[in-house]
Amino acid sequence: MSSGEILKIMRPFTNLLAAIIALAAFQAAASESARDIVKAAIDQWRGSTSRGVITMKIHRPDWERTMTLRSWTRGDDESLVRVTKPRRDAGNATLAKKGSMWTYSPKVNRVIKIPSSMMNRNWMGSDFSNKEISRSDDIVDQYDHKLLETRRSRGHEVYVIQSIPHEEAAVVWGREVLKIRDDYIVLEHAFYDQDGAHVKSLLTLAIGKSGGRTIATRQRMAKVEVEDEWTEIRVEEMEFDVQLRDILFTLSNLQNPRE
Amino acid sequence: MTATAGIVFRLAWRNLWRNYRRTAIVLAAIVAGIWAMIFMIAFTRGMIESMVSDGIRSIPGHVQIHHPDFRNDPTVDNLMPSPGGELAAALGGEDVVAWSSRVRVPAVISSERGSRGVTLLGIDPVAEVPISFVADDIVEGRHLENERDRGLILGRRLLERIETDVGKRVVVMTQGTDNEVVDRGFRVVGVFESEIASTEEAFAFAGRAALQDLLAIGDQVSEIAVLGKNRREAEQLHRRLAETANAEVEVLPWYELNSYLGTTMRTMDGFVIVWIVVIFLALSFGFVNTLVMAVFERVREIGLMMALGMKPRTILAQIIAESLLLLAIGLAVGNILAWATIHLLSDGIDFSFVGEGLEIMGAASVLKPSLGIKDVLLSTAIVLGLGFVASLSPAIRASRYHPVAAITKE
Repeated sequence: MSSGEILKIMRPFTNLLAAIIALAAFQAAASESARDIVKAAIDQWRGSTSRGVITMKIHRPDWERTMTLRSWTRGDDESLVRVTKPRRDAGNATLAKKGSMWTYSPKVNRVIKIPSSMMNRNWMGSDFSNKEISRSDDIVDQYDHKLLETRRSRGHEVYVIQSIPHEEAAVVWGREVLKIRDDYIVLEHAFYDQDGAHVKSLLTLAIGKSGGRTIATRQRMAKVEVEDEWTEIRVEEMEFDVQLRDILFTLSNLQNPRE
Repeated sequence: MTATAGIVFRLAWRNLWRNYRRTAIVLAAIVAGIWAMIFMIAFTRGMIESMVSDGIRSIPGHVQIHHPDFRNDPTVDNLMPSPGGELAAALGGEDVVAWSSRVRVPAVISSERGSRGVTLLGIDPVAEVPISFVADDIVEGRHLENERDRGLILGRRLLERIETDVGKRVVVMTQGTDNEVVDRGFRVVGVFESEIASTEEAFAFAGRAALQDLLAIGDQVSEIAVLGKNRREAEQLHRRLAETANAEVEVLPWYELNSYLGTTMRTMDGFVIVWIVVIFLALSFGFVNTLVMAVFERVREIGLMMALGMKPRTILAQIIAESLLLLAIGLAVGNILAWATIHLLSDGIDFSFVGEGLEIMGAASVLKPSLGIKDVLLSTAIVLGLGFVASLSPAIRASRYHPVAAITKE
């Protein structure tokens, strides 16, 4: 049998093999890129510092209230938030550092560490939990990401990425779907339960320029199953890559503000 | 002497049935009283019994070993090494039926729609089987396979409260040794049910080694639960283990671990006596009255017997014999009736309509009366003893009649 004949017989197999390798490589690339997109969206904050003013509006069917907050962040695991308005709540502050969280209330003049049992409670009565406020980078490593589709919308590419938490990740959701624009602005972050029901979404309502960057300036967290309950965050002013003193993110500064 | 005793007994027996209607009425009262006495004791005993055995199962064990500060501050800061050396040898003793080391931490379990604080127990499911309640009560899913099992077992009520289900993932959050939050996703592999609904919400079970990993505490444990042969032998077991254990741990028997249970048990014995005496006091009025009447009716007869040469002492003995016979018959019938009632109800009486109230006491809503031979003997002895005392006054009065005066009395 000549070598040519052997090749002829083998061809279907080699073709199949090639197809398998190509498919595997494509899938690896696809999941790699999905992860990269998510990472890039998170990295918008990583390594940089920010200082700004934010208003938070908590809406319920029978009431609504608005708070003005000053915020400082450094990297993705240090943040300080101080309430400036309304006067009743002014001075209340929250420091989040490496997954732990402390609050300070001037009325009792005490710094309280949020115990693990409270991490799932809402933050200042909003639709965000303490955990959501204090952590942000878990989503990169604790999930498997998959690019579902790429859409075109208003002159931008929009990646729709499905993130499924690892078996033992500390995440209650069954899956999360992120819509990320090609400039790495998260347009929507939807949370689905383990039966696949849509539970809540963080929606970006407005995108604008602030502090020299294009960022989501208005975001709303809303539960899908409960009507007319949401929390909206609006960026009033924001500066990036500012010089922040180390003392900013300390317990002593939480209690006795120096800035 | 025996001849006199025979005559006394025969006279007493016949006297009883001379006025059978009166005897029957008193007898009915005595039987009812004895029945109520025994049944209520058995009922209360059953309640306490279920409380104590449930209590011991939720402690769990007859004796427990902890870090000395653990009971005041049950966190990961107060752990002890896994038993080794002498303690392990002592735990292998003959009076130990089973023992199990556990990790016990407060934790928060959350699902997509809710979160609850629980006591999370890291157990070795095989060693735990005879000791705690979870093994028998898995109603859905499976039990943990071994201490390295990475699944989680929750109570039915907790499952409903946080709207999750078997096969779904929940997040367990707790405090690590350095006060930092530690959390991990766990898959719910099984559901347990308990007679006491609050237990279903209060406890969650995970593999011991899996929990030790999560908390990064090596092979340290929070408590060692030891089950002896019998809860009444807990004292000896406790003494033996306390002698072997070093000073860095605290060894306590169940009645000190749950002093409410211990006190209840001790109070119960006192309560039984009080209960017997109270019932007897109520009974004694009718009883003594009957005896007085019986003596009063027979004054002439007693006078005659004395005139014929019967000694006052024999008269006294006869009246007392009469009363004791009456009581003995009452006791026999009452006890048999009570035993039959308890036997009929041996499947337990369903009190679920007041179940919530019973739960507060820690008792289950189905109560099984439990009849102790000790209680029966005690009540019989007390009733006969007090009956004797009660019959003394009419008997003494009868023995002091003057024969002539008695015979001529109208």
